[in-house]
Amino acid sequence: MNLRKLKLVSGIILFAVSFVMSAWSQTKSKRYDLQGEVLSKNPAAHEITVRHGNIPGFMPAMTMPYKVKDPAVMQELQAGDKIAAVLVVHGDDYWLENVRITDRSGRKTAKAVAAAHLLAVGESVPDLPLKNQDGKTIRFRDFRGKAVLLTFIYTRCPMPNFCPRLSSQFAKIHDDLKKTPEDYRRTHLLSITFDPKYDTAAVLRRYGLAYLDDDASGFAHWDFASTTPGDLRQLANAFGLEYVEEDNQISHSMNIVLIAPDGTVAKYWSTEWTAAELETALREQAAKATATSPQTSARNR
Amino acid sequence: MLTGCSWFATELTSDTTQGQALFLLHCADCHEGAHPDLHKQPPRLEGLFQSKTLPSGAPATDAQVRKTIIEGRRTMPAFDQRLSDKDLDDLIKYLHTLK
Repeated sequence: MNLRKLKLVSGIILFAVSFVMSAWSQTKSKRYDLQGEVLSKNPAAHEITVRHGNIPGFMPAMTMPYKVKDPAVMQELQAGDKIAAVLVVHGDDYWLENVRITDRSGRKTAKAVAAAHLLAVGESVPDLPLKNQDGKTIRFRDFRGKAVLLTFIYTRCPMPNFCPRLSSQFAKIHDDLKKTPEDYRRTHLLSITFDPKYDTAAVLRRYGLAYLDDDASGFAHWDFASTTPGDLRQLANAFGLEYVEEDNQISHSMNIVLIAPDGTVAKYWSTEWTAAELETALREQAAKATATSPQTSARNR
Repeated sequence: MLTGCSWFATELTSDTTQGQALFLLHCADCHEGAHPDLHKQPPRLEGLFQSKTLPSGAPATDAQVRKTIIEGRRTMPAFDQRLSDKDLDDLIKYLHTLK
Protein backbone atom coordinates (compact mmCIF):
# COMPACT_ATOMS: atom_id res chain seq x y z
CA MET A 1 0.00 0.00 0.00
CA ASN A 2 1.50 3.37 -0.93
CA LEU A 3 1.94 6.23 1.55
CA ARG A 4 -1.05 8.23 0.33
CA LYS A 5 -3.41 5.29 0.62
CA LEU A 6 -1.99 4.50 4.05
CA LYS A 7 -2.70 8.05 5.19
CA LEU A 8 -6.22 7.83 3.80
CA VAL A 9 -6.96 4.49 5.42
CA SER A 10 -5.52 5.52 8.79
CA GLY A 11 -7.43 8.77 8.53
CA ILE A 12 -10.67 6.87 8.01
CA ILE A 13 -9.88 4.52 10.89
CA LEU A 14 -9.07 7.45 13.19
CA PHE A 15 -12.30 9.17 12.22
CA ALA A 16 -14.30 5.99 12.81
CA VAL A 17 -12.68 5.39 16.15
CA SER A 18 -13.22 8.95 17.33
CA PHE A 19 -16.84 8.77 16.18
CA VAL A 20 -17.39 5.60 18.16
CA MET A 21 -15.50 7.03 21.13
CA SER A 22 -17.61 10.18 21.22
CA ALA A 23 -20.79 8.15 21.01
CA TRP A 24 -19.53 5.78 23.64
CA SER A 25 -18.38 8.71 25.78
CA GLN A 26 -21.98 9.37 26.65
CA THR A 27 -21.70 6.51 29.12
CA LYS A 28 -18.13 7.27 30.08
CA SER A 29 -17.14 9.68 32.83
CA LYS A 30 -17.30 13.41 32.37
CA ARG A 31 -14.59 15.39 34.12
CA TYR A 32 -14.83 19.00 35.27
CA ASP A 33 -12.38 21.30 36.98
CA LEU A 34 -13.57 22.44 40.36
CA GLN A 35 -12.14 25.09 42.69
CA GLY A 36 -13.48 25.80 46.10
CA GLU A 37 -13.17 25.88 49.83
CA VAL A 38 -13.62 22.99 52.20
CA LEU A 39 -16.25 23.86 54.79
CA SER A 40 -16.19 20.59 56.68
CA LYS A 41 -15.39 16.95 56.35
CA ASN A 42 -17.09 13.72 57.30
CA PRO A 43 -14.43 11.01 57.13
CA ALA A 44 -16.86 8.26 58.13
CA ALA A 45 -18.94 9.04 55.05
CA HIS A 46 -15.83 9.74 52.89
CA GLU A 47 -17.24 13.19 52.18
CA ILE A 48 -16.23 16.79 52.30
CA THR A 49 -18.55 19.75 52.02
CA VAL A 50 -17.16 22.19 49.48
CA ARG A 51 -18.24 25.73 48.60
CA HIS A 52 -17.18 25.90 44.98
CA GLY A 53 -17.42 28.23 42.04
CA ASN A 54 -19.39 28.02 38.83
CA ILE A 55 -18.61 25.06 36.61
CA PRO A 56 -19.46 26.54 33.21
CA GLY A 57 -22.24 24.78 31.38
CA PHE A 58 -22.66 22.24 34.15
CA MET A 59 -23.43 23.62 37.57
CA PRO A 60 -23.70 27.04 39.18
CA ALA A 61 -21.62 27.94 42.23
CA MET A 62 -22.77 25.73 45.04
CA THR A 63 -22.03 24.37 48.46
CA MET A 64 -22.58 20.65 48.80
CA PRO A 65 -20.99 17.38 49.91
CA TYR A 66 -18.72 15.39 47.60
CA LYS A 67 -17.17 11.98 48.00
CA VAL A 68 -13.40 11.80 48.23
CA LYS A 69 -12.27 8.22 47.90
CA ASP A 70 -8.61 8.59 48.82
CA PRO A 71 -8.29 8.23 52.63
CA ALA A 72 -4.88 9.94 52.66
CA VAL A 73 -6.36 13.01 50.99
CA MET A 74 -9.31 12.93 53.37
CA GLN A 75 -6.98 12.85 56.34
CA GLU A 76 -4.99 15.81 55.04
CA LEU A 77 -7.93 18.09 54.24
CA GLN A 78 -9.10 20.59 56.83
CA ALA A 79 -11.98 23.04 56.97
CA GLY A 80 -10.80 26.34 55.49
CA ASP A 81 -8.53 24.72 52.89
CA LYS A 82 -8.83 25.99 49.35
CA ILE A 83 -8.74 23.15 46.88
CA ALA A 84 -8.59 22.37 43.19
CA ALA A 85 -9.98 19.04 42.10
CA VAL A 86 -11.51 17.13 39.26
CA LEU A 87 -15.20 16.43 39.58
CA VAL A 88 -15.90 13.11 37.92
CA VAL A 89 -19.47 12.42 36.85
CA HIS A 90 -20.39 8.93 35.77
CA GLY A 91 -24.10 8.56 35.20
CA ASP A 92 -25.79 9.28 38.53
CA ASP A 93 -22.58 8.82 40.47
CA TYR A 94 -20.06 11.55 41.09
CA TRP A 95 -16.93 12.14 43.14
CA LEU A 96 -13.76 14.22 43.42
CA GLU A 97 -10.39 13.07 42.15
CA ASN A 98 -6.97 14.63 42.07
CA VAL A 99 -7.74 16.87 45.05
CA ARG A 100 -4.95 19.38 45.63
CA ILE A 101 -4.82 21.86 48.49
CA THR A 102 -3.95 25.23 46.97
CA ASP A 103 -4.10 27.33 50.14
CA ARG A 104 -3.96 26.21 53.75
CA SER A 105 -4.10 29.66 55.33
CA GLY A 106 -7.82 29.45 55.99
CA ARG A 107 -7.48 26.67 58.51
CA LYS A 108 -7.19 28.89 61.58
CA THR A 109 -9.97 31.27 60.70
CA ALA A 110 -12.22 28.66 59.16
CA LYS A 111 -15.84 29.34 59.84
CA ALA A 112 -16.31 25.65 60.21
CA VAL A 113 -19.86 24.83 61.08
CA ALA A 114 -19.20 24.23 64.73
CA ALA A 115 -22.25 22.92 66.48
CA ALA A 116 -23.05 25.04 69.50
CA HIS A 117 -23.97 21.71 70.94
CA LEU A 118 -24.35 18.67 68.77
CA LEU A 119 -26.67 16.22 70.45
CA ALA A 120 -25.20 12.86 71.19
CA VAL A 121 -27.24 9.67 71.06
CA GLY A 122 -29.15 9.52 74.33
CA GLU A 123 -29.45 13.28 74.80
CA SER A 124 -32.85 14.96 74.86
CA VAL A 125 -33.98 16.94 71.86
CA PRO A 126 -34.51 20.69 72.44
CA ASP A 127 -37.90 22.01 73.44
CA LEU A 128 -38.40 24.46 70.59
CA PRO A 129 -41.78 25.47 69.24
CA LEU A 130 -42.57 24.56 65.67
CA LYS A 131 -45.46 25.72 63.50
CA ASN A 132 -47.07 22.96 61.49
CA GLN A 133 -48.92 22.94 58.18
CA ASP A 134 -52.18 23.83 59.98
CA GLY A 135 -50.60 26.84 61.65
CA LYS A 136 -50.64 25.05 65.02
CA THR A 137 -47.74 25.23 67.44
CA ILE A 138 -46.23 21.83 68.10
CA ARG A 139 -43.27 20.78 70.21
CA PHE A 140 -41.10 17.69 70.34
CA ARG A 141 -42.54 16.87 73.74
CA ASP A 142 -45.95 16.42 72.10
CA PHE A 143 -44.56 13.20 70.67
CA ARG A 144 -43.32 11.64 73.89
CA GLY A 145 -44.39 8.04 73.95
CA LYS A 146 -43.89 7.74 70.19
CA ALA A 147 -40.87 7.05 68.04
CA VAL A 148 -40.24 10.02 65.75
CA LEU A 149 -38.41 10.15 62.45
CA LEU A 150 -37.26 13.69 61.82
CA THR A 151 -35.73 15.27 58.76
CA PHE A 152 -35.15 18.67 57.18
CA ILE A 153 -36.28 19.69 53.71
CA TYR A 154 -37.42 22.71 51.80
CA THR A 155 -40.21 22.70 49.26
CA ARG A 156 -38.28 24.55 46.52
CA CYS A 157 -35.47 21.99 46.46
CA PRO A 158 -34.82 21.27 42.76
CA MET A 159 -32.50 18.29 43.17
CA PRO A 160 -34.36 15.02 42.77
CA ASN A 161 -31.89 13.06 44.87
CA PHE A 162 -32.21 15.39 47.84
CA CYS A 163 -35.44 16.63 49.37
CA PRO A 164 -37.80 15.13 46.76
CA ARG A 165 -36.26 11.74 47.33
CA LEU A 166 -36.30 12.21 51.09
CA SER A 167 -39.97 13.18 51.17
CA SER A 168 -40.81 10.39 48.75
CA GLN A 169 -39.18 7.84 51.02
CA PHE A 170 -40.94 9.30 54.05
CA ALA A 171 -44.19 8.92 52.11
CA LYS A 172 -43.37 5.28 51.52
CA ILE A 173 -42.66 4.78 55.22
CA HIS A 174 -45.90 6.56 56.10
CA ASP A 175 -47.90 4.33 53.75
CA ASP A 176 -46.24 1.19 55.11
CA LEU A 177 -46.93 2.20 58.70
CA LYS A 178 -50.59 2.84 57.90
CA LYS A 179 -50.92 -0.89 57.20
CA THR A 180 -49.96 -1.69 60.80
CA PRO A 181 -52.24 0.39 63.05
CA GLU A 182 -50.32 -0.33 66.24
CA ASP A 183 -47.03 0.88 64.81
CA TYR A 184 -48.84 3.77 63.12
CA ARG A 185 -50.12 4.92 66.51
CA ARG A 186 -46.71 4.66 68.13
CA THR A 187 -44.78 6.58 65.46
CA HIS A 188 -44.64 10.05 64.01
CA LEU A 189 -42.91 11.68 61.06
CA LEU A 190 -41.65 15.23 61.10
CA SER A 191 -40.31 17.25 58.19
CA ILE A 192 -38.93 20.67 59.14
CA THR A 193 -38.16 23.28 56.53
CA PHE A 194 -34.85 25.09 55.97
CA ASP A 195 -36.75 27.84 54.22
CA PRO A 196 -39.36 29.26 56.62
CA LYS A 197 -39.63 32.47 54.59
CA TYR A 198 -41.01 30.71 51.54
CA ASP A 199 -42.38 27.59 53.22
CA THR A 200 -45.31 29.09 55.04
CA ALA A 201 -47.95 26.86 56.63
CA ALA A 202 -50.04 27.04 53.44
CA VAL A 203 -47.09 26.06 51.25
CA LEU A 204 -46.18 23.21 53.60
CA ARG A 205 -49.76 22.00 53.60
CA ARG A 206 -49.88 21.83 49.78
CA TYR A 207 -46.51 20.08 49.77
CA GLY A 208 -47.63 17.63 52.43
CA LEU A 209 -50.85 16.82 50.62
CA ALA A 210 -48.86 15.99 47.47
CA TYR A 211 -46.91 13.38 49.42
CA LEU A 212 -49.98 12.21 51.34
CA ASP A 213 -51.94 11.78 48.09
CA ASP A 214 -54.43 14.39 49.28
CA ASP A 215 -55.33 12.48 52.45
CA ALA A 216 -55.23 15.23 55.08
CA SER A 217 -55.80 12.70 57.87
CA GLY A 218 -52.17 11.78 57.26
CA PHE A 219 -51.11 15.03 58.91
CA ALA A 220 -52.02 13.46 62.26
CA HIS A 221 -49.06 11.18 61.68
CA TRP A 222 -46.74 13.40 59.60
CA ASP A 223 -46.20 17.04 60.40
CA PHE A 224 -44.57 19.52 58.03
CA ALA A 225 -43.30 22.35 60.17
CA SER A 226 -41.29 25.52 60.29
CA THR A 227 -39.46 27.47 62.97
CA THR A 228 -38.12 30.98 63.31
CA PRO A 229 -34.73 31.50 61.61
CA GLY A 230 -33.05 31.72 65.02
CA ASP A 231 -34.60 28.48 66.25
CA LEU A 232 -33.80 26.83 62.94
CA ARG A 233 -30.13 27.63 63.46
CA GLN A 234 -30.35 26.18 66.95
CA LEU A 235 -31.99 23.00 65.65
CA ALA A 236 -29.41 22.73 62.90
CA ASN A 237 -26.63 22.97 65.47
CA ALA A 238 -28.31 20.44 67.70
CA PHE A 239 -28.62 17.93 64.89
CA GLY A 240 -25.31 18.66 63.16
CA LEU A 241 -26.90 20.10 60.04
CA GLU A 242 -25.21 22.45 57.66
CA TYR A 243 -27.15 24.78 55.46
CA VAL A 244 -26.18 27.80 53.40
CA GLU A 245 -28.44 30.09 51.41
CA GLU A 246 -26.98 30.96 48.05
CA ASP A 247 -28.56 32.38 44.91
CA ASN A 248 -32.02 31.49 46.13
CA GLN A 249 -31.02 27.92 46.58
CA ILE A 250 -30.32 26.36 49.94
CA SER A 251 -27.38 24.02 50.06
CA HIS A 252 -27.70 21.66 52.96
CA SER A 253 -26.51 18.38 54.28
CA MET A 254 -29.00 15.61 54.51
CA ASN A 255 -29.81 14.52 57.97
CA ILE A 256 -32.37 12.10 59.36
CA VAL A 257 -32.79 11.70 63.09
CA LEU A 258 -34.59 8.97 64.97
CA ILE A 259 -35.99 10.17 68.30
CA ALA A 260 -36.88 7.62 70.94
CA PRO A 261 -40.24 7.67 72.78
CA ASP A 262 -38.48 9.27 75.75
CA GLY A 263 -37.48 12.28 73.63
CA THR A 264 -33.82 11.41 73.26
CA VAL A 265 -31.79 11.00 70.09
CA ALA A 266 -31.62 7.35 69.11
CA LYS A 267 -29.83 7.47 65.75
CA TYR A 268 -28.56 9.69 62.95
CA TRP A 269 -28.29 9.05 59.21
CA SER A 270 -26.86 11.33 56.57
CA THR A 271 -26.45 10.22 52.99
CA GLU A 272 -26.30 6.44 53.16
CA TRP A 273 -29.74 5.12 54.03
CA THR A 274 -32.66 3.23 52.57
CA ALA A 275 -36.34 3.68 53.36
CA ALA A 276 -36.42 0.06 54.55
CA GLU A 277 -33.62 0.70 57.02
CA LEU A 278 -35.30 3.84 58.39
CA GLU A 279 -38.62 2.07 58.71
CA THR A 280 -37.13 -0.91 60.53
CA ALA A 281 -35.34 1.34 62.99
CA LEU A 282 -38.50 3.39 63.53
CA ARG A 283 -40.60 0.30 64.22
CA GLU A 284 -37.98 -1.02 66.63
CA GLN A 285 -38.08 2.22 68.60
CA ALA A 286 -41.87 2.22 68.50
CA ALA A 287 -41.87 -1.18 70.17
CA LYS A 288 -40.29 0.54 73.15
CA ALA A 289 -43.18 3.02 73.35
CA THR A 290 -45.78 2.56 76.02
CA ALA A 291 -49.11 1.38 74.62
CA THR A 292 -51.05 4.16 76.28
CA SER A 293 -49.51 7.54 76.78
CA PRO A 294 -51.15 10.75 78.01
CA GLN A 295 -49.54 12.61 75.09
CA THR A 296 -51.25 10.46 72.47
CA SER A 297 -54.69 11.56 73.58
CA ALA A 298 -53.56 15.19 73.60
CA ARG A 299 -52.84 14.83 69.89
CA ASN A 300 -56.48 14.14 69.16
CA ARG A 301 -57.37 15.40 65.72
CA MET B 1 -28.25 18.23 39.80
CA LEU B 2 -25.58 15.89 38.61
CA THR B 3 -27.25 13.31 36.40
CA GLY B 4 -25.11 13.62 33.31
CA CYS B 5 -26.31 10.81 31.12
CA SER B 6 -29.63 12.29 30.01
CA TRP B 7 -28.16 15.43 28.48
CA PHE B 8 -27.79 13.80 25.10
CA ALA B 9 -31.45 12.91 24.80
CA THR B 10 -32.30 16.12 22.93
CA GLU B 11 -30.67 16.78 19.60
CA LEU B 12 -27.95 19.35 20.08
CA THR B 13 -27.86 21.82 17.24
CA SER B 14 -24.92 24.07 16.65
CA ASP B 15 -27.08 26.97 17.87
CA THR B 16 -27.57 26.14 21.54
CA THR B 17 -30.20 28.40 22.88
CA GLN B 18 -30.27 30.01 26.26
CA GLY B 19 -33.56 28.23 26.88
CA GLN B 20 -31.95 24.90 26.31
CA ALA B 21 -29.16 25.76 28.74
CA LEU B 22 -31.77 26.68 31.34
CA PHE B 23 -33.65 23.46 30.70
CA LEU B 24 -30.53 21.37 31.18
CA LEU B 25 -29.62 23.23 34.35
CA HIS B 26 -33.02 23.37 36.04
CA CYS B 27 -35.42 20.88 34.48
CA ALA B 28 -33.66 17.90 32.96
CA ASP B 29 -32.64 16.36 36.26
CA CYS B 30 -36.24 15.59 37.07
CA HIS B 31 -37.98 15.58 33.72
CA GLU B 32 -35.56 13.19 32.06
CA GLY B 33 -34.40 9.78 33.12
CA ALA B 34 -36.02 7.30 35.44
CA HIS B 35 -36.72 8.18 39.06
CA PRO B 36 -37.87 5.03 40.87
CA ASP B 37 -37.26 6.69 44.24
CA LEU B 38 -39.67 9.55 43.67
CA HIS B 39 -43.26 9.53 44.90
CA LYS B 40 -44.48 10.62 41.48
CA GLN B 41 -42.59 10.26 38.22
CA PRO B 42 -41.99 13.70 36.71
CA PRO B 43 -43.60 13.74 33.24
CA ARG B 44 -41.45 13.87 30.11
CA LEU B 45 -41.83 17.20 28.37
CA GLU B 46 -41.50 16.16 24.74
CA GLY B 47 -44.58 17.29 22.86
CA LEU B 48 -45.66 19.48 25.78
CA PHE B 49 -47.22 22.10 23.55
CA GLN B 50 -48.39 19.65 20.87
CA SER B 51 -51.26 18.58 23.06
CA LYS B 52 -54.20 20.79 24.09
CA THR B 53 -53.55 20.04 27.75
CA LEU B 54 -50.56 19.78 30.03
CA PRO B 55 -49.90 16.61 32.05
CA SER B 56 -51.83 18.30 34.87
CA GLY B 57 -54.90 18.65 32.65
CA ALA B 58 -54.58 22.42 32.49
CA PRO B 59 -54.64 24.08 29.06
CA ALA B 60 -51.30 23.98 27.24
CA THR B 61 -50.66 27.71 27.12
CA ASP B 62 -47.54 29.75 27.79
CA ALA B 63 -49.28 31.41 30.73
CA GLN B 64 -50.18 28.09 32.34
CA VAL B 65 -46.69 26.67 31.89
CA ARG B 66 -45.20 29.86 33.30
CA LYS B 67 -47.49 29.61 36.33
CA THR B 68 -46.51 25.99 36.91
CA ILE B 69 -42.80 26.74 36.76
CA ILE B 70 -43.08 29.72 39.13
CA GLU B 71 -45.47 28.16 41.66
CA GLY B 72 -44.55 24.52 41.36
CA ARG B 73 -47.21 21.89 41.42
CA ARG B 74 -47.71 18.96 43.78
CA THR B 75 -44.24 17.41 44.15
CA MET B 76 -42.65 19.77 41.60
CA PRO B 77 -40.73 22.55 43.36
CA ALA B 78 -41.50 26.23 42.77
CA PHE B 79 -38.90 28.18 40.80
CA ASP B 80 -40.23 31.42 42.18
CA GLN B 81 -37.41 33.97 42.67
CA ARG B 82 -35.01 31.62 40.95
CA LEU B 83 -35.73 32.42 37.32
CA SER B 84 -36.00 35.90 35.83
CA ASP B 85 -38.78 36.90 33.43
CA LYS B 86 -36.30 36.57 30.57
CA ASP B 87 -35.25 33.13 31.78
CA LEU B 88 -38.88 32.06 31.76
CA ASP B 89 -39.40 33.49 28.26
CA ASP B 90 -36.35 31.65 26.94
CA LEU B 91 -37.26 28.43 28.72
CA ILE B 92 -40.81 28.44 27.40
CA LYS B 93 -39.53 29.16 23.88
CA TYR B 94 -37.32 26.13 24.21
CA LEU B 95 -40.12 23.96 25.57
CA HIS B 96 -42.05 24.73 22.39
CA THR B 97 -39.28 23.01 20.40
CA LEU B 98 -39.52 19.75 22.31
CA LYS B 99 -41.32 17.23 20.13
